[in-house]
Order: sequence, then structure tokens, then C-alpha cells
Amino acid sequence: MSWFSFHFSDFALSFLGIIFEGIPFLVLGSLMSGAVEAFVPRESITKWLPKNYAASIVVCALLGLVLPMCECASVVVIRRLIRKGLPLSCAITYMMGAPIVSPVVALSTYVAFRGQNPLEMTLLRMILGFLIAVGVGMAVRDIPADKLLQPEMLDSLPGRRRTGLSMAVAGDDAEMAMAGEGVSGKIFRTIQSATADFLDVTFFFIVGAAIASTFNTAVNQNLLVPLAENPGLSVVVMMGLAFALALCSSTNAFIAVSFRMFPASAKLAFLLFGPVFDTKLFFMYGAVFRRWFVMSLGIGLFIVIALICNHLGLILNI
Amino acid sequence: MKNALFNRWLPGFTLLAWSAVLLTYYFTGRISAFLRPGFRINVLLAGLAMLVMAFCFIFLAGVANCCDDERCGHPLGRRKLGRIVTFLVLILPITAAAMFSPTSYDATAVINKGIATDASGLVRTSGTRLPGPAASADDPSEPPLPTKDGSQPAAQAAATPSTDAADQYLPKSKDGNIEVQVIDLLYAAQDSSMRADFDGKTVETIGQLMPDDSHNGTGNRFKLMRMFMYCCAADAKPIATLVESPQAPAAAEMAWVKVVGKVTFPVEGGRTIPVLEATKVQQVDPPEETMLY
Repeated sequence: MSWFSFHFSDFALSFLGIIFEGIPFLVLGSLMSGAVEAFVPRESITKWLPKNYAASIVVCALLGLVLPMCECASVVVIRRLIRKGLPLSCAITYMMGAPIVSPVVALSTYVAFRGQNPLEMTLLRMILGFLIAVGVGMAVRDIPADKLLQPEMLDSLPGRRRTGLSMAVAGDDAEMAMAGEGVSGKIFRTIQSATADFLDVTFFFIVGAAIASTFNTAVNQNLLVPLAENPGLSVVVMMGLAFALALCSSTNAFIAVSFRMFPASAKLAFLLFGPVFDTKLFFMYGAVFRRWFVMSLGIGLFIVIALICNHLGLILNI
Repeated sequence: MKNALFNRWLPGFTLLAWSAVLLTYYFTGRISAFLRPGFRINVLLAGLAMLVMAFCFIFLAGVANCCDDERCGHPLGRRKLGRIVTFLVLILPITAAAMFSPTSYDATAVINKGIATDASGLVRTSGTRLPGPAASADDPSEPPLPTKDGSQPAAQAAATPSTDAADQYLPKSKDGNIEVQVIDLLYAAQDSSMRADFDGKTVETIGQLMPDDSHNGTGNRFKLMRMFMYCCAADAKPIATLVESPQAPAAAEMAWVKVVGKVTFPVEGGRTIPVLEATKVQQVDPPEETMLY
């Protein structure tokens, strides 16, 4: 049996499965993003954040508990929140935390691991997901925005000089325009912003979904099974799988548990890495952040999560 | 004119095309091959939302001025080539996939995904008729599952594992055989009380025929395979029960077959697995829903 055998029909089935599962959440995220653009004044975005920097990072890492968002939708929403003036580190913290620290994900993890220490796995996933989000937020604190953001995103930040009203940005002119708009005008702007965001991010979602579907159907995954016997290697393999399969964070626990030959530490690594960095997110992050940051984020997360899960495997014997 | 093409008509057309694909799949029922029931309503809602967005884009010229602005935040919208590539990527893959997508995987993808012959890594979901191994005798607080005819709940019967009671609550075919799904047999193998319900009984089930290379010392076994979907077709996992048949089945690989046979639970390789001793293997049409949930 060869390691790679591509059939378009299989690819199409898997590809449409990912698209049909993910697109509704992208539409939802786009509409929420559009509503933020049209209805939420810039000053109110930062008003609810604690004045203390560390506290605001912690709050944003826990925001997914009250504003649950899958990883696809969170990318769309933070684009808008950044343009609305949310501190960049807070937005990145929310983007890292929301796909894991959420009631939906906690419930799905608990249900998936029934009979296999579900409480332990769920708590480890939530706590480590929270700590990773806080860690990333702290790490980017002192990096200037122009080093992190794509030039187009940077140009649309509040306070930058703008040449006219654009539907996609919420700079000074847009804020002034918003103040004078009626409800119908705001609704139209919600739709136009949502549409632009949707088309823009969906481009990257499609590219990621196509790569994930190719791996999902064309690569012989049985070849990975012997690697499960080495604890350290198994963690790395499961993280590579999480990246390649690009599964939704609310459902990937059901897939993780089916890799029964892999140790729990490797499954935990799968559950932590996939929701914050996979093929589709690699491309979607590229719509917001500079390429060096996306690469650094991926490599950094990979190393940190691999080390944590390896150590936990040794300490807790999981 | 060029700006109108890129900023109004192409985005509007793209949204319309996406909406058409989503709504067509939903209303024709083809969505059942791609998503489990609880997720399907999302496709309808997304399709309708896209339809509204498309009409706003097409008929309200004032809202369609994105990317004219030099400071537009969309990285692909500012260059002509980028715009063309964007719309090609947005339209072509989904159109091609929608035109050529089958409703089930072929053998290559099934083998690449790896076929599970026990339920140790599976989670009980709504599509099964029986309580899963972790939730039957071990967890009496689990709510009972409805049976096909709405009579006695399965979990209640599992709590009193007499074979007579099992005969009453297990659904029967018109030939008097117990009707099961492949997943039911895999779960039963994991739990002694559930095994007692099936052991030695004649059952009938359907699935896709796959050769068996790993448990086939006598050469008269094949796998009866179904795809078990958690959320979407991408995460579907092949599961199979082994079938022993004195004659080679007269059906091709991946053909849908109905198997009637006696259930046994031998221990092989340290695991208890279900094996059907077939008395009849008959090719049938694919079921309405090809995936199990």
C-alpha cells in the first residue's frame, strides 16, 4: 500500500464536509464582526478591560467562556476588534484562548473521553489552553504593531490618516460616519462589512481545507501507528496530525480519542495544538499577521506544547 | 466599470453561488452524507444569510465599494491579480467538489483512514441503538435511549440482562432476525452484559464489503464496514465487524451487502471482537444515510 494515493472524489467528500461544517461559523463570525463594526463605538471596546495589563490579558484568555467562538470565527472577529482599538496583545490572547477555553469545548472533551479519565483530560486541556493563551499574550506585549500586523491591517488601525470611508475599516472617518447613521444604515454596514470579511477569510479557509482534505484521504495514516510506541515521538506525531487534519476545536476530541494506540499525553498535545495552529489557521492568520510572526507563533507553540505534554506524560504517567 | 465588476458583481455572484450550493445540498437531502443531523440546520441558516448578503451586495450599489479605498484592509483586494485569484479560489473548488462529490468514500480513503474493528476508541452517539460500553452497567444514571419502535428503552433492558428481555426490546426484521448496526456489535463486544444479549443470536445488518488481511487465517473472512461520523465527513472513521462466510461473497469490494448470521465474540490478539458467522450474504442498494452517527 503506497503512502499517498489521491482520488478526487474522496477529496471532494472530505473537503465539502469541512466546508459545510466550518462555513456557518465563518458566516456567524463575519456577521458578529460586521455588527461590531457598525454598532460598537471604539471607546466602548476598551472600556470594559481592566486597567492592569496582566489582568486584561487574563480576562481576554477567559473571554471564550462567555463568548465562545471556534478558531475560524475568532480570526474574523479579532480582525475587527483590532481595528476597533482592542490592544493587539489582548486580541491575540482571545484568539488563542477562545477555541479551547470554552464551555462547548469542555463539554465535548468530557463526553469524548468518557471512560478514559474525562475530568482529568478536560481540566488539563482547559488549564493549559488558558496558560498558553496568557503566555502568548504576554510574549507579544512589547512587540510593536507594525512588526506583527500585515500592512493593510496596520493602515486601517484607528488614528491612522485615511483617504476616505471604506466599508472594511473602522478608522476615524468610519467612526464619525457611524455616529450619524440610522439603524438601517448600521444594518447595511453590518452586512457590507460581514461580506467583505467573509470573502477575505474564506479564501484562506478554503486553501487550508483543501490541504487538510488531501492529507485526510490521500495519505495512509496507518503508517503513523508504529510511531505511537515512542512517548516523545507520539506527542510530535499527534501534533503534526492536528496541524494537517485542521479539525474544528469543538469536535477534535472525538478524533483524538479514536487514536487509541497513542498515549494520553499525545492526545492532549493534539487537543492543545490543533485549535491554535493548523493548516487552515496558518493561512487565515496570514490575512492578519505578518508571515514571520505566523511562522514564529507556530514553531513556538509547537515546541512549548510538545515540551509540556512530554513532561506531563512523565510526571502524571499518562 | 472594472471596479464595479470586482467590487459588486463578482462578490455578489460568489455569495450567490455559495448560497446555491448550501441550500441545494440542504433541500435535496444530500447534506446527510456530509454532516450529522445536529449540524445540518447550520447549513440552511448560512445559505440564507449568504443569500441576503448577496442581494444586498448586488442591489445596493452604495454598499459595494470595498477595496476602492487605498487603505482597504483586505490584502487580496488591492491588486488586480489578487482579486482574480481570490474569486477563482472562492468559486472553483466548491463548484468542482459539489459537482463531483460522491456520498461515500472509496476503498483507498477507507484504507488510508484505517479501519477499527473494536469500539475502544469510539464514543457512543445518538445513532446507535444500544448503550455504549462505558455507559451501560457501569453508569446506571445514563438516560435510556429510545428504541426504533419507541417501546422499552434499551438502557432499561440492559440493566436486566436476561436474554428474553433482550429479545423483546431489540428490533426485529420481517424474517424475525435481530436488526443491528455494525457499531452495535462493536459496542457489545466491550461489555459482558451486552454480549449476552447477542451471543449466539441470529442478526442481520448491512455494510460495505472489504477484504480482511489482518484476521484472516482461514481465508474465509471479510470485513463488513460502515463509516462512523462524529460531525462531518472529514472526521468519519471506518469501523467494521468481521464476517465468516463459507463461500466467497458474490459482490465487489465496497459493494453494499446485507449479512444474516450468528453473532460470536471470540478473543483474538487479546481483544474480544465480534465475528458474524454468515448464513446469507446478499448485495443490496445503499441505505438512505450511508454514514452512522
